[in-house]
Amino acid sequence: MTVDHGVPPTRTETPEQRQGSFTVLERDRFGPGPKGFFTDTTVCIGCKACEAACKQWNQLPDDGFVFTGMSYDNTVDLGASTWRHVSFVERPVPLPGQTTGGGDFSWLLMSDVCKHCVRAGCLEACPTGAIVRTEFDSVFVQPDVCNGCGYCIPACPFGVIDRRDDDGRAWKCTLCYDRLRDGMVPACAQACPTDSIVFGDIDELRAIAEQRVRTLHDRGLTDAYLYGVDAASQPGTDGLNAFFLLVDEPDVYNLPPDPVVPTKKVRESWLAVAVGAAGILAAAVGAVLAGTPGGNHR
Amino acid sequence: MPDDDDRARARHLDTERAALGGVGAEQIAEPATHGHGDELAAPAPYDVWSRVPSIDGSVAALGEATYYDRPVIKEPVWIWTVPAYFHTGGAAGAAAVLGAVAQLRGGLDGLVGRCRWIATGGSALGTVFLIADLGRPVRFLNMLRVLRPTSPMSVGSWLLAAMSGAATVSAVGRGRGGAAGALARFAGLGGGVLGGPLAGYTGVLLSNTAVPAWQGARRALPLLFAGSSVVAAASLLELLDLDDHEQAVVRGFHTAGALWELAAGAAVEREVGRVERAARPYHEGASGALWTAAKAATAASLLVSLLPGGGRARRALSGLLGTLGSLALRFAVFQAGRVSSRDPRATFQQQRAGRGAAEVTATPAVTGPGRRALAG
Amino acid sequence: MAECHPVGFQWVMEAKRRGATIIHVDPRFTRTSAVADIHVPIRAGTDIAFLGGIINHVINNERYFDEYVRSYTNANVIIDEGFRDTEDLDGLFSGWKAEDGQYDPSSWMYRGVSGVAPSAGQREMFAGSPETARGKDITHEQTDDTLQHPDCVFQILKRHFARYTPEVVAETCGIDEDLFLQVAETLCDNSGRERTSAFCYAVGWTQHSIGVQMIRTASILQLLLGNIGRPGGGILALRGHASIQGSTDVPTLYDLLPGYLPMPQASHDVDLASYIGFNESASGWWSNLDKYVVSLLKAWWGEHATAANDFAYAYLPQRSGDHSHMTTVTAMRDGVVKGYFIMGENPVVGSMHGALHRQAARELEWCVVRDFAPTESAEFWRTGPEFDRGEVRPEDVATEVFFLPAAAHTEKDGAFTNTQRLLQWHNRAVEPPGDCRSELWFMYHLGKRLKRLYAESTDPKDRPVQHLQWDYPTQPPHDEPQAEAVLKEINGYEVATGETLSSFQQAAVDGSTAIGCWIYTGCYAAGTNMTNRREPWYVQDWVASKWAWAWPDNRRILYNRASADPQGRPWSERKRYVWWDGEQERWVGPDSVDFITDRRPDYRPALDATGTDTIAGNSPFIMQADGKGWLFVPSGLLDGPLPTHYEPQESVIPNPLYAQQCNPARLEWERRDNPYHRAFDDERFPCVLTTYRLTEHHTAGGMSRWVAWLAELQPELFCEISPELAAEKGIDNGGWATITTARGEIECRALVTDRVRPLRMGKGRRRTVHQIGLPYHWGYLGLVTGDVVNELIPFVADPNVSIQESKCLTADITAGRSSRGRRVVTSGPLVPMSGARSHEDRDLPVVAGRPRGQHGERMGATQQTEET
Ligand SMILES: Nc1nc2c(c(=O)[nH]1)N[C@H]1C(S)=C(S)[C@@H](COP(=O)(O)OP(=O)(O)OC[C@H]3O[C@@H](n4cnc5c(=O)[nH]c(N)nc54)[C@H](O)[C@@H]3O)O[C@H]1N2
Ligand SMILES: Nc1nc2c(c(=O)[nH]1)N[C@H]1C(S)=C(S)[C@@H](COP(=O)(O)OP(=O)(O)OC[C@H]3O[C@@H](n4cnc5c(=O)[nH]c(N)nc54)[C@H](O)[C@@H]3O)O[C@H]1N2
Ligand code: SF4
Ligand code: SF4
Ligand code: SF4
Ligand code: SF4
Ligand code: SF4
Ligand SMILES: [Mo]
Repeated sequence: MTVDHGVPPTRTETPEQRQGSFTVLERDRFGPGPKGFFTDTTVCIGCKACEAACKQWNQLPDDGFVFTGMSYDNTVDLGASTWRHVSFVERPVPLPGQTTGGGDFSWLLMSDVCKHCVRAGCLEACPTGAIVRTEFDSVFVQPDVCNGCGYCIPACPFGVIDRRDDDGRAWKCTLCYDRLRDGMVPACAQACPTDSIVFGDIDELRAIAEQRVRTLHDRGLTDAYLYGVDAASQPGTDGLNAFFLLVDEPDVYNLPPDPVVPTKKVRESWLAVAVGAAGILAAAVGAVLAGTPGGNHR
Repeated sequence: MPDDDDRARARHLDTERAALGGVGAEQIAEPATHGHGDELAAPAPYDVWSRVPSIDGSVAALGEATYYDRPVIKEPVWIWTVPAYFHTGGAAGAAAVLGAVAQLRGGLDGLVGRCRWIATGGSALGTVFLIADLGRPVRFLNMLRVLRPTSPMSVGSWLLAAMSGAATVSAVGRGRGGAAGALARFAGLGGGVLGGPLAGYTGVLLSNTAVPAWQGARRALPLLFAGSSVVAAASLLELLDLDDHEQAVVRGFHTAGALWELAAGAAVEREVGRVERAARPYHEGASGALWTAAKAATAASLLVSLLPGGGRARRALSGLLGTLGSLALRFAVFQAGRVSSRDPRATFQQQRAGRGAAEVTATPAVTGPGRRALAG
Repeated sequence: MAECHPVGFQWVMEAKRRGATIIHVDPRFTRTSAVADIHVPIRAGTDIAFLGGIINHVINNERYFDEYVRSYTNANVIIDEGFRDTEDLDGLFSGWKAEDGQYDPSSWMYRGVSGVAPSAGQREMFAGSPETARGKDITHEQTDDTLQHPDCVFQILKRHFARYTPEVVAETCGIDEDLFLQVAETLCDNSGRERTSAFCYAVGWTQHSIGVQMIRTASILQLLLGNIGRPGGGILALRGHASIQGSTDVPTLYDLLPGYLPMPQASHDVDLASYIGFNESASGWWSNLDKYVVSLLKAWWGEHATAANDFAYAYLPQRSGDHSHMTTVTAMRDGVVKGYFIMGENPVVGSMHGALHRQAARELEWCVVRDFAPTESAEFWRTGPEFDRGEVRPEDVATEVFFLPAAAHTEKDGAFTNTQRLLQWHNRAVEPPGDCRSELWFMYHLGKRLKRLYAESTDPKDRPVQHLQWDYPTQPPHDEPQAEAVLKEINGYEVATGETLSSFQQAAVDGSTAIGCWIYTGCYAAGTNMTNRREPWYVQDWVASKWAWAWPDNRRILYNRASADPQGRPWSERKRYVWWDGEQERWVGPDSVDFITDRRPDYRPALDATGTDTIAGNSPFIMQADGKGWLFVPSGLLDGPLPTHYEPQESVIPNPLYAQQCNPARLEWERRDNPYHRAFDDERFPCVLTTYRLTEHHTAGGMSRWVAWLAELQPELFCEISPELAAEKGIDNGGWATITTARGEIECRALVTDRVRPLRMGKGRRRTVHQIGLPYHWGYLGLVTGDVVNELIPFVADPNVSIQESKCLTADITAGRSSRGRRVVTSGPLVPMSGARSHEDRDLPVVAGRPRGQHGERMGATQQTEET
């Protein structure tokens, strides 16, 4: 199994790697097994090709024509009809290793997407079973099952999945399940010109990503780190199948610093329910006993 | 159901030239009409950003830097019927428990009947409330498609369905003889078993989310909702005709519930208050006002219910105040969650204070520039 | 580049991954800057000063590639005694004729040579009678291989750029000295035997009244550093529209025939012999011009083109003057041009001075627009601020407008020629819907109908149409002509057999070959559509020459002889590309060799050599008459043999270098409806305005403002300004601003951002200059609308190629929405016209007697429209 990067992340020289990196659309390109994205924000040029390609492939409606004043970001966040979203972070500090004649400044560009969490808040919350885990380990919402209860929405620690009023169902990135089934790279990764979005087998992606961080550190960009690469780095989710290379705090990219799938914390809540239920019973028994003069039976 | 043309229109596609296909093409959408322009029908979901963009995680105090103040999680899309359901469902649950205990105790037939009807009505109305909230109400039966233990909503749906059934059987069959009566009695007891969890699970429903004001109160919230359900049930009973004996029972129930609710409310404040930002909605704005009003109404209903004398007016007032208190409480918590989901700093600060995954995982996810050794 | 060529930019990012240093020179911090190693903010329009500074640094510090410069450039050539530099004449070269407003280039020539033909795309551009067989005595040029002769090119160059010191760069461009030195050193360190550096540019350099010379400056620098003709080097012109390269090769330009053959001039190219005589070069590759033009005539008029009738040369259209875009528009405005085809263009939004353009269109009798949707250019008769203001009423517009829906590239076969001269075939994916038809269909059937119309005519002037070879096989369902048949004709074939040719070297002067565009010969070699080759790069060598086809001769790097040293050995192993194989006695390498393949490196032409025999074995630049890279350009340019910094037509400061403020030879259109600001210090317009693109939209918006998925990404017109300017003017981020010039006023949102910085410049760098950035994609129609930025910009142009100056002008900005939609064309002057004619400030001496063109042009070139 080779990693398909749409186009290769590092066009290294072996023919095998070259072959693997070229986008050939064969049905048996993909075995099952965990697939995901490594999004390297240091090579993102903010072109939004991923965002547009996603909308076009999936034929999603626009989000309205709203000027935001937020740098070049006019779609603002992921949502029911925006499954890829590119963020534009204008910073008053330089990026290590970059020289800017205009004074201390840098512009961080990052393409965000559903993380396809190993422990997915949305999936675990979904009461109808509309959200399933696929053979590619991705998290998929079946539109024909979803009844729009909306529970997945606050259950996602990343603010990804959403419902639109006019449709009434929850929507998010499918990891291009339809394309994967046909052996095609996800539309966003395919469109990304600079390989900021690398698609492939999770294990291989991890290896590439860690190598990349080392390279960047060697070149002086010591701020580079991986976000959600595995369970060790993000125990709250057991790691993300779509993970990122970032160079500033997650917060500035609108990512939570220590996300947790809510179900990891729910045990004590259920305990509290048990206590509460017992409490109601106790209150009822108490009230009935106390309220019955002399304890006389009828 | 909108036809292809509508969906195409929303995508500004000409179906004579383009075919709709792809997963997202199924999505129904009104052509976008919101924006900042004058001629647009609906306002944009946010204001134009009017400051010079300048976001920096390394300079700003940790937890202060945000992405244009945009929420990091999505706001719950639930409408008012959901907190209303918390109330009716809770009342149904608590009433079922009281009814079952009263049934076992005997001699409280009127009370048992009223409890069963409250349980029936509450769960039925609750079901209606929940269906009303669904994005696709016709698919409400999908709720019972699977049982997903990780999903409090799934668990709750089954609880509610079971409670609805049990309560209805118990209410309809009450006073009948034979098998029907026996079944009703059995169902009444069943309702008593289901009632407690039904009253409390809604707390889990909320705490089992990424919403800081809810997740931050994950232990106290179910307790609060359970206590508030007792108040809700008792208050409804206060509004109904009861004999003296029953009145005494209800007064006791009410007293216990109100004290409990007030204590649990304080516990919620304490628990979530470990991160000031996450607790803010309980103190500020509409949600804060509702929260305070709920506490006041509950306390007042307690006082009134404890006033000597059994006048109808006193009971009605107490019942009214209790109902208001319980309702306000649900709406307060609901609203607090919505507000806090809009506040990215609530999430950032909560997690940076060790109240994210760190609470339950051995190793906190210390992510950030240069602060993390390479994994593997 | 990341903004406008994101797909090509993947290779830049790949290079960066492998350790390349990326330097981005741009007034703004863009998406390219975001991933660059060094961002250099520069005042728009000052790149000659910046690059000139680097040239000065390279020469002073002897960082040039000595052997390359000595062998492959004209550094050693001695120039005419009469030559005077801008250093001597305060901004003018010798030969300036103030009364004509143009140069006489005779004093720029090589000493001892009677005239030197310019290279590719040669045009007769100078006053006076044209010369024949220029460069015939090129072998007589005088040289000084020590490069010490005061009149040799190297010494002239050195003196010319001596003025461009780091301080001057700072004062002119607003670039700090240490940043400038960092760039210069980085570039030098990365050039030489072992390393090469590439320059990428697009319209940030071209769209200036000194655009051509900006690129010339880069060429000089790259030649000095030895970065031309070598892998990893070069100057990459990132072209614009898909196949805009194709549309200069097989041109849609008025002054060129296919393959950069000049369009005949009515005044003196009266017959084939004089055309060839005036236009071919006696030396270098252009000595083959006769074969190419005869083959072209054979392709067009087939059997009717015979030696007896000059191969139907007389059938060719001949130009009578300047018919470039802006000249034509003013001619339309003045009622001279009556009909207009707009095909695949939205000039009312994309071209300068949109309001003038609309007004001009309203003077037409008829206008044909072919596009996907009725664009602003199809709706000029009812859409525009002048209609909102009631200045024009649709019912008063007499122009008859035909709108014809066009097929998109996905709906037709064809080839795109892109930036690297690569022809790539695309296949139709679906049939065009409804009445939509391809350009090919339209042209072919229009031609058919014209032929039918004139079939019976006996008037000799109709013969070109009657005799035109116009038969292409068509296919159902729409009678679409086969695009491959056209490509085959472009490639060329042997007349007798119809066999396709494989090389332009087969072109014959006797009419036995027919070639539609000689530089494309080989794209259909052996009857195969080479442009449709899709052999993946991983199954071939790294040059990947089996992917599609590049002109000429499938060559991936031009002038690649320069990748080897004078003796024919690779300069270094790392940079090995083509080399002389002594055993085979020929040049070899992975690419097609851009040289006479068996010419020994030690070959030297005899004094009496002519044609390609003049090309020495160490002269890689075979398209030049002398085979050398031209540091100094003796002919071919209208505004001087060396690049010189001039301020734009509208500037904020006086020229820091010379008394001559602007390019003396620039094209101006002196008209009431085209007013200019003062040359500098115009208090009414204190800011520099620059315009550009966004990744999310495409040019005039016809392909993006109608597409929801793109429109939502950039829904409103905005300007980009620094926080300092915003504070000064009271403009909020996201709020509204109004921008005004003497041509019009527009309103837009403001993005207040540190990506735009105020620059400190002028003497002692005491002056703060604010720049306003404006993307120009919006118009009055589509899903997202906005004012047309180009309604701010006047007609003014570079003399060599007539490109507009849209990258720098002056403007005013105020907070809020205070535009009343005024346009000078229909509303009258927005500001008092006083002092608008400040030529005293622009020109030294004042060009009093310059010819005033019929449509208001005050042009540097001779090519006034001659017709009346
Ligand atoms: N997405 C997208 N891609 C496109 C197009 C499009 O509209 N949209 N258009 C296509 C076409 S037709 C073309 S011609 C190309 C153009 O491609 P580019 O030339 O890259 O396009 P621009 O954005 O017009 O200009 C480039 C940069 O020049 C800067 N600039 C302005 N003045 C100066 C100056 O004096 N000196 C320097 N050094 N820089 C300056 C601007 O700030 C801008 O960032 O793009 C092609 N690609
Ligand atoms: N201020 C300012 N102005 C500029 C520039 C700048 O940098 N600054 N850049 C200039 C440059 S480089 C350029 S190239 C121009 C571009 O300006 P234009 O060429 O006028 O603008 P486009 O929007 O590219 O127009 C192309 C039209 O062709 C249509 N089209 C696409 N495919 C086909 C087809 O197959 N057939 C037909 N018939 N129509 C088709 C599209 O829908 C579109 O409307 O703008 C110039 N204007
Ligand atoms: S990011 Fe959110 S929506 Fe995506 S899988 Fe994780 S929890 Fe679900
Ligand atoms: S909205 Fe749909 S996908 Fe989300 S939890 Fe409810 S049923 Fe599941
Ligand atoms: S994987 Fe597919 S659905 Fe997900 S963001 Fe990419 S293109 Fe969109
Ligand atoms: S396509 Fe790639 S480079 Fe472009 S915005 Fe998306 S991730 Fe960034
Ligand atoms: S739009 Fe086409 S030509 Fe332009 S960058 Fe993208 S792929 Fe290349
Ligand atoms: Mo262009």
